[in-house]
Amino acid sequence: MNRSPLNWPVIRLLVAKDWQLFQQQLAACVFGGIVALCLIGMATGWSFYLGSLLLIVMLVCTSCFSISNSLLVERKEHTLAFVMSLPVTPLDYYLSKLIGNLVTFLVPFLAMLAGTVLVILYTPLPDGLVVLSLLIFGHVLLAYAVSLSVAMAVESEGWNIFAMIASMLLINPLIMLLGQIPAINDHVKADTIYFAPVAVAILLAQATLSVVVLAATGWVHCRKKSFY
Amino acid sequence: MHDTVRFHYMDNLRALAMLAGVVFHAALAYSPLLHPYFPTADRAQSPAIDLVIWWLHLFRMPLFFVVAGFFAAMLLNKRGMAGLFLNRLRRIGLPLVIFCPLVIAAMSYSTLHAAAYVRNPSPVLLMIRQFSQMANPPAPPPGTGHLWFLYYLLFFYVLTWVARSLVPGKPGNFMRGLKPGWQLLLFPMLLAPALASVSAPHPAPESLFPQFWAFGFYGPFFVFGYLLSGHEALIDRFRGFAPWLLLASVALYGAFLYLLRRHVPTAASVPIALIEACISVWMTCVCLVAGRLLLNRSNRLLRYLSDASYWVYIVHLPILFVIQYRLMDMAWGWGAKFTVSVVATFAVCLLSYHLLVRKTVVGRLLGTRMPVAGSAAGA
Amino acid sequence: MSTAFALSGVTKRYENFALRDIDLSMPEGQVMGLVGVNGAGKTTLLRILGGLALADTGTVEVLGHDMPAQQVAAKSDLGFATEDMRLFKTRTLRWHMDFVRSIYPGWDEVYAADLLRRFDLRAEQRLAGFSHGQRVKALLMLNFARRPKLLLLDEPTTGLDPVARDEVLEALADVLRDEARSVLFSSHNTKDIEQMADTITFVHNGTLLASRDKESFLDDWRRVICHGSWVPDKAAWPEIAAVRQNGSIVELKVRQFSAGLLERMQTQGAEIRSADPMNLEDIFVTTVRAGGAA
Repeated sequence: MNRSPLNWPVIRLLVAKDWQLFQQQLAACVFGGIVALCLIGMATGWSFYLGSLLLIVMLVCTSCFSISNSLLVERKEHTLAFVMSLPVTPLDYYLSKLIGNLVTFLVPFLAMLAGTVLVILYTPLPDGLVVLSLLIFGHVLLAYAVSLSVAMAVESEGWNIFAMIASMLLINPLIMLLGQIPAINDHVKADTIYFAPVAVAILLAQATLSVVVLAATGWVHCRKKSFY
Repeated sequence: MHDTVRFHYMDNLRALAMLAGVVFHAALAYSPLLHPYFPTADRAQSPAIDLVIWWLHLFRMPLFFVVAGFFAAMLLNKRGMAGLFLNRLRRIGLPLVIFCPLVIAAMSYSTLHAAAYVRNPSPVLLMIRQFSQMANPPAPPPGTGHLWFLYYLLFFYVLTWVARSLVPGKPGNFMRGLKPGWQLLLFPMLLAPALASVSAPHPAPESLFPQFWAFGFYGPFFVFGYLLSGHEALIDRFRGFAPWLLLASVALYGAFLYLLRRHVPTAASVPIALIEACISVWMTCVCLVAGRLLLNRSNRLLRYLSDASYWVYIVHLPILFVIQYRLMDMAWGWGAKFTVSVVATFAVCLLSYHLLVRKTVVGRLLGTRMPVAGSAAGA
Repeated sequence: MSTAFALSGVTKRYENFALRDIDLSMPEGQVMGLVGVNGAGKTTLLRILGGLALADTGTVEVLGHDMPAQQVAAKSDLGFATEDMRLFKTRTLRWHMDFVRSIYPGWDEVYAADLLRRFDLRAEQRLAGFSHGQRVKALLMLNFARRPKLLLLDEPTTGLDPVARDEVLEALADVLRDEARSVLFSSHNTKDIEQMADTITFVHNGTLLASRDKESFLDDWRRVICHGSWVPDKAAWPEIAAVRQNGSIVELKVRQFSAGLLERMQTQGAEIRSADPMNLEDIFVTTVRAGGAA
């Protein structure tokens, strides 16, 4: 459909543009993240929980702000037409949104993931928690991929808010469900890390689904007939 | 050309702050106050050490962060935010990631070795010796060691961006516009809460989790340096105050030592914190004034030391540890041990700089031989 | 002579509206005015040319490039502004200028500065504080300063106060001084089109009613006043688009005027009082109400 080669310089400019438009919220989230790290670093019970919670809130905030700013607001404010009038193809546009949002999300996400694993391994917390943590982070990744896809594919603001909230809220049933699986639950409090086959299967499913959802969105997007 | 203007006094003050760190860390081994906490704490001690090093401790790193903030603002002006981040990631982030594990591994290796073989171990070495006899010795929490300041610099660069994105207007102009007397009074008030929340003398924030107090204490100094950039005349306004600030600081330091002797809690009391804050600010200003008056020049020796200081500071502690663990079993006085450890550490560091760093890829990594002052900024 | 754009057999269906079987082309260096009521299909037509909407069938060629396959090449030389297109509210005009400049190598900073002055715009102001007129002028400035080969403008003067309208038209006239540049613009305001366009195209209900050069178009239409009892039967007189009788006065709107026509009318007993040229608005309204070709 689009035979033009990818227009990387313009994709880069579009990503930079989205970050500039999103800079204030991102800066506020980064500040919140640093405060959260300090709270965790105070090493008292209440501050550890408050800090962890604040860190997760900041991660979700960052991803939601990023999606909302780069996709929903652009459509609502009719700046999409301006962007699409620039020398870009729908695929260029899709890629710029995907790259910009994924980097915005993945940088804090991976830092938090690494931090969590380090804290579990280097503190008296049982090392078996690593598997459960990875599964929870896997869900957050999948929920984010779904929210991003819905934002790109569906114009209704209501559905977008629903997708963001519902996908993140599903984390509770997931934790309960994981608690019901003996192969996972029995090893949570152990001092060794054990990847049960079912845990590996769920992790793989989460990762694969995330990629598939995003790829499918790209496919749908490039077959759209209107871009304004 | 404007681009090649070097702020020699800033370069030299930074080098001085770094090199003084070697002396400071060497002295800790002979400090009675730190005897229970420092791995290389020696049998030979002297209260005279405590008298000098805690004085130095109050303004050495603050001065360093002022210089770092100064060069950060300069770099930002010249290359923009993206340029600042790229440059700082290369000059600060990369060295931190590369050298932190190496330095910490070297120190823990020599410390474990010392715990096993030293005949006159320090309390810390004794504790490690006991731990190592346990079946499952607890691993020490990961940290940044004496390279914590690089870690915090990275946070400060990020916070610079945050502040520029979020803070409206130009609060810097307001702060610069205050009368110098007010600046010298209000600045310490700003620091007191942070200092009151940690023990006195304040520890090094080595944890991987950043500490509120370290932001609250070192952050304002970074901002101070940032605001000085392009407005160096502000330093001259402190010149008339400098002798008085020096005198007042010495007097307050006497009070500090007196209060410290009666008081060993986990957090400093408010009066102690206030005294610490005043000395930090005032002595930093004295150093800036003195630096601008006396050190605003360069020759081959100063330039060489300034170039070498980053490398020397990164590697000095493991080298110092090895030397001081050797000295522990010698029957020398503290003065001899201190002198030997300082001289030997400097010798090894400078020699390694000359042979392994100055003209190699490591030197390029640390940016120690760049022609522009901003290049090695903050390091 | 190469074409600025060419549409052939283009159809685009929406839920409540369809653009049907459009064949239209314009040579380079021309100015074409699109005239049509709200919802006639002007914006859709412009969006198809600008690459913002894909035609269901038919071929679209813009500046020699197939759309949408070669849209990047086409868009690189296009200026495109629609009425509902907005700029980023939280950013300054300067930010937009820098953004557009970084994308279009042909950006002319001197010209941009000149346009800023002529449009009385402040580059350091955020778009959120712009009035409607300033917003339109800002968007046009961003388009003009990139020096596009083809400008597609949807209702550029709608909602502007007379001063702003004059500024915009004057700037547009400057653009047109360069013979190689082409413009396609739509407007309800037929006066603007009459003033600027070389070619006039009528769009109504998703179809083209007419597309001809302005001079011959205006030349063909006359408002004829006659006296007498004769009232023509429109079926027998295809040249006549509208008839209105008021007592013994009959007003005829003629779409293919000629001296011969007047003679034939006189032979039917009509006493011709006057035969005056019509303005574009009148022609357009008559055409739409006659429901057929102009």
